[in-house]
Amino acid sequence: MTPPTSADTILLNLASVLILLCAFACLGSKLFDRYLGYYALQSVLLSAAAAIVAADLRDAALWALAVLTLLIKGVGIPIATRRYLVTRLSLKRDAAITLGLSTSLIIGAGLTALAYFAMRPATLPGKLLDTAAVPLAMAVVLLGGLCMVVRRHTIAQLLGWLIVENGVFLGAITLVATFPFIVEAGIFLDLVAGVLIMVALVSGLAQRLATASASDLRSLRG
Amino acid sequence: MTLTLTVLTWALPLSSAIVPWTGVRARGIGIAVAAGGTGSLAAAIVLSVRIVAGGPFKLLDGFVYLDSLSAFFVVTVALVAALAGVGSYSYLRAAEDRGELSTLQVRLYGTFFSLFAALMLAALQTGNLGLLWVLIEASTLASAVLVALEARATSLEAAWKYIIISSFGVTIALVGTLFVYYSAILIHVSPDQRLTWPTLFAHASVLQSQSLRLAFLLVVVGYGTKVGLAPMHTWLPDAHSEAPSPASAMLSAALLNTGMYAIVRFEALTTPELGRYANDVLLIFGFASLLIGALFMIGCENFKRLFAYSSIEQMGLIAIGFGFGGVVGTYGALLLVLNHAIGKSVLFLTGGEVVHRYQTRNVGEVRGLLTLSPVTGLALLLGSLAILGSPPFGLFLSEFTIVRASFAGRASWLGFVLLALLVVAFMAFARTTTGMVFGARRDGAPSAAASYQRVSALPLVVGLALLLLLGIWIPTGLNELIMHSMRAIG
Repeated sequence: MTPPTSADTILLNLASVLILLCAFACLGSKLFDRYLGYYALQSVLLSAAAAIVAADLRDAALWALAVLTLLIKGVGIPIATRRYLVTRLSLKRDAAITLGLSTSLIIGAGLTALAYFAMRPATLPGKLLDTAAVPLAMAVVLLGGLCMVVRRHTIAQLLGWLIVENGVFLGAITLVATFPFIVEAGIFLDLVAGVLIMVALVSGLAQRLATASASDLRSLRG
Repeated sequence: MTLTLTVLTWALPLSSAIVPWTGVRARGIGIAVAAGGTGSLAAAIVLSVRIVAGGPFKLLDGFVYLDSLSAFFVVTVALVAALAGVGSYSYLRAAEDRGELSTLQVRLYGTFFSLFAALMLAALQTGNLGLLWVLIEASTLASAVLVALEARATSLEAAWKYIIISSFGVTIALVGTLFVYYSAILIHVSPDQRLTWPTLFAHASVLQSQSLRLAFLLVVVGYGTKVGLAPMHTWLPDAHSEAPSPASAMLSAALLNTGMYAIVRFEALTTPELGRYANDVLLIFGFASLLIGALFMIGCENFKRLFAYSSIEQMGLIAIGFGFGGVVGTYGALLLVLNHAIGKSVLFLTGGEVVHRYQTRNVGEVRGLLTLSPVTGLALLLGSLAILGSPPFGLFLSEFTIVRASFAGRASWLGFVLLALLVVAFMAFARTTTGMVFGARRDGAPSAAASYQRVSALPLVVGLALLLLLGIWIPTGLNELIMHSMRAIG
């Protein structure tokens, strides 16, 4: 594998930064529609990042993954989640946030710094792609986790997990180009099945409890 | 021949997953599930004999890879699938008789139980660490449906907690896998091979130590979520208590072990480069789990939660065994994997009987089980004694071996801590279950005769007999399998 040209590196870095900003935007928002919008945008950017690496390495499998990402994460999941959860349960504002938005943004900034610290060059000798994307990807993973912790609503937690997954994917394409295609395809399959089961669970919870917020899920303790 | 057996171990349960949609009723589904598990067990035993005799089996660039360690875990998981499969038969029949489950729920149970078993068995037989991840995550999804099956508000809540915490955890393990892959960039093999365990193991001494260190930590946190290692264990008591009892047995005795298998594979990769680093990580998480498990058992009001905390404690103990390592520690840990799997299957299936009789999971409402149902009462009593590591059951021998390893280690004071925690766990657990078994029967306590009593007693009797056997004598074949497993991971 040849190292990418500098133009590609710049584009990839730009895409990664924007992906990180989408995660921050999700963290700083209170409306379910916005969560989904930022997630969709992030996935489209991710697909672009995959396409950049694919063009650079001339890798057919990566092209396929870029298309899959666009179709499933960029279009399929956001539309399905909006139609079957947000619209049907008429959700607007997320009231179940345990931490103020500004506080969570500050913590998010701290986590980004932590990602840079953990991924400093000494940890990763002889990088395949000379980009800043790897620490950015880890920051996205951490921010997604933070979204899941700070937000108590099941749909917000689901989106947090999806952001984590996006971060891992970004890490995969920038750190090691790609896993074997069959593995990547399996990861996609798991993701889709997971979202389907989670959507079913959330609908079931909404039916049973007249709420789908995890902050009301407190009967199991001890 | 080996290939056929390999395929059979997971294809038999997989084919039982289709049966519910052919229009058969609970009885047929129950038989299919039980047959799938039992058939898989038979294939797994023959398979392990062949692997011990003929060495590792590798196919498709390592996407299929079986050595003795895989075979050992396959036998364990298949055994659980067989015991819980037979338990599923009586669960489904009883639920249908009482009208507790709709036809759809019975079908979903049959499908996802079988799928769950097949996915775990397949996960244990791949050498590709990426595929291992895919299959383990898929098994989470299949089992989440089982946890939610009874569709109470609490079981949906437990299923949500389970799926979201486990999926997040396992995604962390994927990051770990990524870094393992990355740590191998200096090895000149094809990209597929860089993710294949035997190749990585053969080159373990040239893996990048920095990223390997990070990778192992991520993997332990990630797969440790599935194992139920503290502090990532929070989903476990909820899911185990809310799932149908045979599914709880599968979660506790099969799923947790599958997660542990993944961790052991990664541990073996780190040893040449990082020395005792992985062992120390495992010791820390192991002691944390033992502590959490033992403390939360005190005063636990729901007996299925009690069993779940005992699983956390036992998994901690297994992690400690691998953590001390060496011949004694690893042998004890592997022996405990098998014994705990059998013991917990027996306990959860017994728990299912109790839930069925009393219609409660509350310890306080269950009294005088021995007089109400001698078989169930005796199984609960003996099962509790077994899981607590009393002689003459198999867990005594394995726990004793781990304790011995702890005193032989660098810090023998850890041995005393270990013993103290085990005593706490023993007292908390035994106090609760003996109260359930003996105690005075209350007036108005339900005394409905359990339906399908003979079938439901079968896995209990078989399981207890196996535990007793393993406590007195370790069959030569099993001993050899464990010895070979230890050699497979260094």
